[in-house]
Amino acid sequence: MTSTGRRRTFVAGALLGSLLLSSCVIGSDSDSTSNDSNASDGEVSGTITFQTWNLKNDKFTPYFNDLIASFEKENPGTTIKWVDQPAEGYQDKLSADAAAGSLPDVVDMGPEAAYTLAQSGVLLDLSKEDPEAQDQYLDKAWEAMTFEGLGGGTYGYPWYLNTGPSFYNKELLQKCGLDPDKLPTTYDELFDQAETMAENCDDVQMLARMPAIENFGEYGVQLMNEDGTEFTYNNAEGVKFVERFKDLYADQGLTEESLNNLQTTEVEEFKAGRLAYLPGSSYTLNDLKDTAPEVYENVAIGPRINNGSPNMYIESLVVNAQSEHQALAKAFAKYVTDSSNQLEFAKKADVFPSSAGTLDGPYFTEDDGTPATQVRVDSAAQVKEAVVWWPPAFSGSADAETLREQIAQALLGDKSVQEALDASVEYSNERLEANG
Amino acid sequence: MTATAPRATAQRTTARGGFPRWRSGRSLRRRDRLATHRWFLTPWLFLAPALTVIVLMVLVPFVNTLQLAFTDSTLLRTGDFVGLDNFRKMFDDERFSTALLNSTLYTVCVVPVMVVLPLMLAALVASTPRLAGFFRTAMYLPVIMSPVVVGLIWTNMLDKQGLVNELAATLHIVSEPFPFLSDRWLLLFSAMFVTVWMGLGYYMVIYLAALVNIDRSLYDAAAVDGAGTIRTFLDVTVPGVRSTMALVALLSSVAAFRVFGEIYVLTDGTGGVGGGDLTMTMLIQREGTGLQARTGYAGAISLVMFVILGGLLLAQLAVQRKQRNS
Repeated sequence: MTSTGRRRTFVAGALLGSLLLSSCVIGSDSDSTSNDSNASDGEVSGTITFQTWNLKNDKFTPYFNDLIASFEKENPGTTIKWVDQPAEGYQDKLSADAAAGSLPDVVDMGPEAAYTLAQSGVLLDLSKEDPEAQDQYLDKAWEAMTFEGLGGGTYGYPWYLNTGPSFYNKELLQKCGLDPDKLPTTYDELFDQAETMAENCDDVQMLARMPAIENFGEYGVQLMNEDGTEFTYNNAEGVKFVERFKDLYADQGLTEESLNNLQTTEVEEFKAGRLAYLPGSSYTLNDLKDTAPEVYENVAIGPRINNGSPNMYIESLVVNAQSEHQALAKAFAKYVTDSSNQLEFAKKADVFPSSAGTLDGPYFTEDDGTPATQVRVDSAAQVKEAVVWWPPAFSGSADAETLREQIAQALLGDKSVQEALDASVEYSNERLEANG
Repeated sequence: MTATAPRATAQRTTARGGFPRWRSGRSLRRRDRLATHRWFLTPWLFLAPALTVIVLMVLVPFVNTLQLAFTDSTLLRTGDFVGLDNFRKMFDDERFSTALLNSTLYTVCVVPVMVVLPLMLAALVASTPRLAGFFRTAMYLPVIMSPVVVGLIWTNMLDKQGLVNELAATLHIVSEPFPFLSDRWLLLFSAMFVTVWMGLGYYMVIYLAALVNIDRSLYDAAAVDGAGTIRTFLDVTVPGVRSTMALVALLSSVAAFRVFGEIYVLTDGTGGVGGGDLTMTMLIQREGTGLQARTGYAGAISLVMFVILGGLLLAQLAVQRKQRNS
């Protein structure tokens, strides 16, 4: 091929590349928001897509099919397409949908995912578009979906809540010189007992995981500034908290594996009878009963460890700001999260409703004497004191991974605790700013 | 070939074809032009499917990455041009230096093993024709297994309560289990072992094909000269497959530098204790995925990785050329 031919080919290729590239760039630019969409106050009609994660199975499918059928019956002319996907890597799936501009109309997600999407203008601000909905939910649940860092907008209808007690292996406590009748309630008590266990036993531990951001909150560390625009957990209280882990590691109360363990490993270790303490949820007890009956026989249940308020998690239903049927999307999301539907779902899923007043019903207040009911009633009472400690701006696994890695480096002696937390805070602030 | 060649060929063809005299000169020229166009278009039409895939799947993402590397883009926000900021940030990022060190070490350790060990196995298999089929299948089996499955198998094997440690304890080799999955360096070397185990069969098959091409008379001559197994291997087999060794070095070095699956699975996706086993690809994955993905920064790391790999390939090609010339 001559140079002219080569040039022509190159130019053709470059043109084609540029065209495709520009289309990609245009496609990925979702800075613009369609909050002004006139679909917001429209008629409740049309077809929308409802996205959930890991809920299409024998246990939940009948519930959702009935829910959708009854909504469609009450609202003639509406069709709800229910889409369910595996929860693994759900943020990646959401990001692909959001980047492609194909986010479903109503999506089940946590506040940490909602925050980033809201930052990009992809989600409907309910404090403007549906402010009266606030009365339908517990104040703390509504507040958990209200993001101070984004000007105080609310970006999701609160759905279910989850919190739970602490579980202990009584046999291990006794074996290692601890009294199962004196279970710890604060972090300092927990660390003291973990130290005692480390002194008396070398093959089992009290703790098997590095603290996550919500544990910092439970310890009493201020996680962000008042505006919600910067992380602050590298303060003196944060350093003090991690120092306790460092001391415990030095006293061999934590294994090297525990510096890198995820929650799944922590649960496995407890089920295997090698771990004495497990912060659980309302369905942990049934899980232990089914999958680790020997441990279940020896389990003691105590309050969730905290120095002020226990942690709880929240799941919400967000509405796509670009939905062509926003009125329908809002109506459906509110229907799913209303008191009766949340109660029914909570019974099936062993979670707690975020709708106002539902927790005062007999299902969450009357103890029939069985361990499962006791856990449910105690956890429901705990919801009233609990706080969603995980800051929504602490988004994605990268922040959590960095925090865990930095703490591990501090425990290994590669850097001081202060340096480790400074590095983690700097990383999270950088990411927050980059997406701002 | 020059651009004028097709036209000349077309003219000759038409002249030899002997068009009927009553056709006008204009009609001849038109037919001539059509033939030229057909000659020009045909190869492009054959190439079109492959070219489309390459342009869409390789060229466009590459150009896009190149462009992103100089911006502060995130997944959901088109960023601004920031010059070399991403690269400056990268060289201050301790995770980048860890990842670069791990990927480099991986390449340095894995490639020599990948070049030599499969060759030795191939020579061994080739020398036992009766068992060649069995060995080929047995050694190739890990190649067709998913890296995730392989990783899970080895995770269970290398765990504190896994088969290897239990065996070592039973045989009283150690009093404490080996921290294969928690010690930074042990984990890295465990992952290298898994990579070698997975890749042996693939490269062995390549070597087996190359061994067939070595002239048998050279082995006969070596035997007549009294050369032993090792001498024959070094003086006949190795020179006979030198170009294949270069190819294997090339392929395995690229694969080793881009290691992801083995470490990802062995560390449960975490990059090891304190992130000490992060590799370049894992870092790119961490920065470039998720809702808060910093695509600009991830693009810059990808670009650096591309330059390193490109340099590695060019160096290997230069060595190869030098060897050929000498």
